[in-house]
Amino acid sequence: MAISRTTMATEASSYDYLFKRNTTALADAASAVLSRFTRNEFNMDSKSTIGVEFATRSLQVDNKTIKAQIWDTAGQERYRAITSAYYRGAVGALLVYDISKQSSFANVERWLKELKDHADANIVIMLVGNKSDLKHLRAVPTAEAQSFTEEKSKLEDGTQSSNPIRFIETSALDSTNVENAFQNILTDIYQLVATKALEGGDSIKPSNGETITVAPTSDNDTKKGACC
Amino acid sequence: MGTRLDKFNFILNSPVVDIEKLQKLSWSGVPSSLRCAVWPLLLGYLPTNSSRRATTLSKKRAEYATASLNAFDRPLDSKLWHQIVIDVPRTNPGNPLWQNDTAQRSLERILYIWSIRHPASGYVQGINDLATPFYQVYLSNYIQGDAHSCDPSLLSATHLQEIEADTFWSLSKLLDGIQDNYIIAQPGIMRQVKRLNELTRKVDPELSLHLSDQGVDFIQFSFRWINCLLMREVQMSNVIRMWDTYLSEGTDSFSCFHTYVCLAFLNKWSKQLKLLDFQDIIMFLQAPPTQSWSDSDVELLLSEAYLLKTVWDNAQSHIS
Repeated sequence: MAISRTTMATEASSYDYLFKRNTTALADAASAVLSRFTRNEFNMDSKSTIGVEFATRSLQVDNKTIKAQIWDTAGQERYRAITSAYYRGAVGALLVYDISKQSSFANVERWLKELKDHADANIVIMLVGNKSDLKHLRAVPTAEAQSFTEEKSKLEDGTQSSNPIRFIETSALDSTNVENAFQNILTDIYQLVATKALEGGDSIKPSNGETITVAPTSDNDTKKGACC
Repeated sequence: MGTRLDKFNFILNSPVVDIEKLQKLSWSGVPSSLRCAVWPLLLGYLPTNSSRRATTLSKKRAEYATASLNAFDRPLDSKLWHQIVIDVPRTNPGNPLWQNDTAQRSLERILYIWSIRHPASGYVQGINDLATPFYQVYLSNYIQGDAHSCDPSLLSATHLQEIEADTFWSLSKLLDGIQDNYIIAQPGIMRQVKRLNELTRKVDPELSLHLSDQGVDFIQFSFRWINCLLMREVQMSNVIRMWDTYLSEGTDSFSCFHTYVCLAFLNKWSKQLKLLDFQDIIMFLQAPPTQSWSDSDVELLLSEAYLLKTVWDNAQSHIS
């Protein structure tokens, strides 16, 4: 099954935090999760994603308003040249597969590699098993995805990475866990970015040299220019 | 000669259609009752010589029927077929015709056969959109009323095959001119995005500056405009009217002229865009307010594009 991706950026013009985030997902599943999160809508027949499409929503994390800028990226391989550009400088990624299709889960490995090749090393990745409402059609057991995630989070010496791949199951159809998925990954991104800010001043320089400003908490004094 | 309709009929009924005259007349719109006769001529799908037209038509339709038999008489390319069958039900979801089973099965076959015959590109998401105006226009020749809401399963199998074959060959002609939009790395689209950016800098420097200040990259909004020929941004009836002009503009209109249409389209919202920040710009351009557009809005857009092309197309060297 083809994979679509979503890049997210979170910006701060009138918000508290600015960071950029990237989400990767499988075909229509990803668009469905995103549409549930940003517009609280579910549409069986939404059009296919062409190239990269944008969505946004604000969330409260740690009493701060975080605005998530989300890039929903096309599933088809032909679009990869365009979509991979959206990984650079992103701070988070959601990889969505369909729990009722083993083939879509099998693709996850390839997309993890895509992220490894194109995204910043400290990107927060969350694996999302969507369509949890299809209990009787489940093809990917929760435990299998869970252990896959743990396996993929190991460092070369066998220990767990301090930034492991997160895992959650959702249903864009009945809304289960969609909010939680975004809340969790945004919280993790926020904490990671806040820690970095404490350690190294008020900005992070990802490998491609883009500056992502994270410190300002007062309104109106930040230009978001760095985020794209 | 009196009305526009008369002028069209006069040209169409000549032994050899004067294609330049037909292009000139069609540029400002083709009467809906004549589109199914005019489009195949403008596309070069059917010959201008009327004595050869019927033979060519039956030959092409037979050729498609054979291609279709051959394509489905063997194991399918499962990856390709899968992509097509998940995209077909998501094609023009708001349009009743495209929720119809008969139309969807036709579209699947058209896309599959085109793709296996064009391996360098293959099926790319968005090509499904491009087949639909042809189908709708050719279908309208066989029915009373609006093709947009008709039930094609009521037609005879022969008629359906004719519509399908004509759609296939018309789509093939269209895609011949823009194949580099869909091959690996999509260089045709990249070139147009770049050109749109350069042209905007010249034509509307303030907007250009604002977009770059806000960190907006042209590819973020114009990729889809080019990949789907603005079909995701305007209504189907608008698209059909636009294609009257595109088909009259000559062979490179779906790339070259289209870039100017995108430029005019962007320009149209310049005032609003200059007041918006990054994310509101992207959100706006992703779903521009064109829901109530009539033919005259489209015609204004096309005229603006034509003017821009006249001024800037030969000024390429000044841009780079």
